[in-house]
Amino acid sequence: MTFILRRLAALIGVLIASSFLVFSAMYAAPGSPENFLVQGRTVSPEVLEAIRAQYSLDDPFLVRFWNWLTNVLHGDFGRSLANQQDVGDLLAARLPTTLMLVTLAALIIIVLGVGLGILAGTRGGIVDKIILLGSNLGFAVPTFFAALILMSIFSVGLGWFPVFGSGDGFIDRVWHLTLPAFALALPSSAVVARITRTSIREERDSEHSVMARARGVAERLVMRRHVIRNSMLPVSTIVGVHIAGLIAGSFVVEYAFTLDGIGTLLVHAVQRKDFAVVQAIAIVLVAAFGIINLLVDLFYASIDPRVKVETNR
Amino acid sequence: MKQFAERMGTLGLIACGVIAVVVLGALFAPLIAPYDPTIGSVTQRYQGMSFEHLFGTDQAGRDIFSRLLWGARSSLTGPLIVVAVTAVFGTLIALTAVWWGGIVDSFLSRVLDLLFAFPNLLLAMLAIAVFGPSLTTAALALSVAYIPYSARVVRSMAMRERNLPYIRSPELQGIPGIVITARHLLPNVAPLIVTGATINFGFAMIELAALSFLGLGVQPPAADWGLMVSSGQQSLLNGYPAESVLAGLSIVITVAAFGYVGERLGGRAAAGRKA
Amino acid sequence: MLNIDNLSLTIGPDLQILREVSLAVAAGEAVGLVGESGSGKSMTLRSILHIEPEGSQVTGTITFDGVDVRSLSGEALRRMRANDVSMIAQNPHAVLNPVLPVERYLIEGMHDAQGQPTKTAKLRAGELLEQVGIDAVDRVLRSYPHQLSGGMLQRVVIAGAIAGRPRLMLADEPTTALDVTTQAEVMAILDECRHELGMAMLFVTHDLDLAAAVCDRIAVMKDGEIVEIGLPVQLRDNPQHPYTRALMESRPAGLAWTPEGGPTS
Repeated sequence: MTFILRRLAALIGVLIASSFLVFSAMYAAPGSPENFLVQGRTVSPEVLEAIRAQYSLDDPFLVRFWNWLTNVLHGDFGRSLANQQDVGDLLAARLPTTLMLVTLAALIIIVLGVGLGILAGTRGGIVDKIILLGSNLGFAVPTFFAALILMSIFSVGLGWFPVFGSGDGFIDRVWHLTLPAFALALPSSAVVARITRTSIREERDSEHSVMARARGVAERLVMRRHVIRNSMLPVSTIVGVHIAGLIAGSFVVEYAFTLDGIGTLLVHAVQRKDFAVVQAIAIVLVAAFGIINLLVDLFYASIDPRVKVETNR
Repeated sequence: MKQFAERMGTLGLIACGVIAVVVLGALFAPLIAPYDPTIGSVTQRYQGMSFEHLFGTDQAGRDIFSRLLWGARSSLTGPLIVVAVTAVFGTLIALTAVWWGGIVDSFLSRVLDLLFAFPNLLLAMLAIAVFGPSLTTAALALSVAYIPYSARVVRSMAMRERNLPYIRSPELQGIPGIVITARHLLPNVAPLIVTGATINFGFAMIELAALSFLGLGVQPPAADWGLMVSSGQQSLLNGYPAESVLAGLSIVITVAAFGYVGERLGGRAAAGRKA
Repeated sequence: MLNIDNLSLTIGPDLQILREVSLAVAAGEAVGLVGESGSGKSMTLRSILHIEPEGSQVTGTITFDGVDVRSLSGEALRRMRANDVSMIAQNPHAVLNPVLPVERYLIEGMHDAQGQPTKTAKLRAGELLEQVGIDAVDRVLRSYPHQLSGGMLQRVVIAGAIAGRPRLMLADEPTTALDVTTQAEVMAILDECRHELGMAMLFVTHDLDLAAAVCDRIAVMKDGEIVEIGLPVQLRDNPQHPYTRALMESRPAGLAWTPEGGPTS
């Protein structure tokens, strides 16, 4: 329990530090926000003055940071400079697509990556060779390229899936997000499959598996209880790392499929220097990244009795 | 040389060959490329494969083969910047932390932990938001994101060496730390740094290409593989796949080659990646 | 009961581990297999149970009660492993699955391998632990391997090995990985269980004195070959092979041992 509290405290520390980092980076950025707001039109100094006052641009840096941080804690992420919308509302509207995309991709990594890895590790022979080759190439396929290829084959060519958009309602969304999720999950699945295979190979020859066989335990049981079960320990960490990594990967895939998720929002905000939006998304993503990593560690501690959560780190 | 060949195996040597071809293509692009990569002609749009245009032309009538060759330049220099900066600063930070230990070590560890809290691409995009899109910004920002990986591995390796007699005894003789570090510690961690750089090269290539694809890296009309995948998107969906597919395959093959060579050299652990 | 005839084992193209090993163990007899590490002792044991490393080529025959063990496979092999021959390996921390509690290890042997009902297996697990001299039975049953000492864990392994009342026990340096203080205890327990159940034993060790103390006959092994077989006294008083002589002379001086009577000092 103290372990969880300590990790949570560390996470909060990291969040505050990274908020500061992000905020000061945006503050130090060349080009002033009011120039962005007036979009190159010549305006009178009075109007500029008014804009600066409206956005509190004249307050000292630390005061602005403090105001921003306290507002964020109250759920107020400020307003988008580009279209005056409330950033919190924007995020809330975009979140479901991203969440669903990441969840689907995570499922694919677990089912496809781990599944193929187990198959390769336990079968050997030609199955193993094919999966190994696939994983050696698969990890090298950029998600955006996979996205285009899947789109051109299954959406444009065969017409099985929609080309763009995120869909409405649960079923329709899943249908719209299937191809993006596969594109997003492909490289990770390849890596996970290979690591699972290696892990299975190692456990298969481990002393406790060999001795279980020597004691007359049926091979099927040895596989299930000793080989596969134990090889899942290192695999679960890898899967966790990759699921956390999906957060960043989702920007690219969302953009490729023009999905209305957080990622597309971020890309557009970066292109337009809409700092309020960039800041907010950065903080939310760092938090999500940290929380997933924390959950993975907790999960690992819960399945491996050797990890004592009290003394870990 | 023979030892290297044995370590690589047949596939590894093929991978080395692929890397050599790509590097040579990039170096000699101005000599080999039959056309200017940025200038096309409207009358030459969407040509198929022919002797004039080996891989055909794109929607602007530009020669795809020439663009691939020129594209290899930015597609390789980006990752090169990333792994070079990462190796130098990662090693510097790690060795500083190991040599001084104590407060310096824990402070540097905290800073690295903070960087670890950001997904790589997010860090790069934040930098691009601040400094504007360009290959240099993207590469430098990605370097910052990679430094913790490299520093972590070098640190743990150097930490093991730190208390061994061959480091300790010159220290007791009063030879300055920087000399011992450069003369003894560095050569010992060097192979690890090279392996890490090889593996990270592939990751960097993918992530930089992704940034170019998002319009945040290399800017048109320059030729770059990531950018070509993106600019060929519409043509691909309209039935002219050459540009996107060839550029994408170039990335896949190059990254797979670097990945395989790195794997043979010592594996992902050296890149500081759990995965 | 156990007959090993001209057993040779090669790994890969040319790594010969065993050369024409022949050895017999009669019912109830304890035979020591002594030699330095890498001499092929463990591999001899492992070949009996078909757990030699993948890629080994094995020639020669091994029979148990007249049945050719090496030709067994599937269910017949499984039954032989579960009911007739048990093995105790060197490092108990590697033998038990690190993520399963001790109780599961014992139940696995009795229920999954030998086919006893789970209920019986659970009851017997406690009895067996008492039999190998463990007091805090419940605590040990609930423990995970990493929470127990090597000596404690090796007792658990012995308990598991005698659970099916096998007729032959293969012991592969069962005390080598343990603390010096618990080595004698564990050895005594093993010896006691053997006598109680009337099991035969093939005992692999590098320690000639220990082998002499617990075995009826001793085979000396070098570079994959058995160079000499004899009674402990014969080896002591009249070693034939130079290697045996060297082994005898390299023993720490002042240690005496009696052929019949357990470890003494």
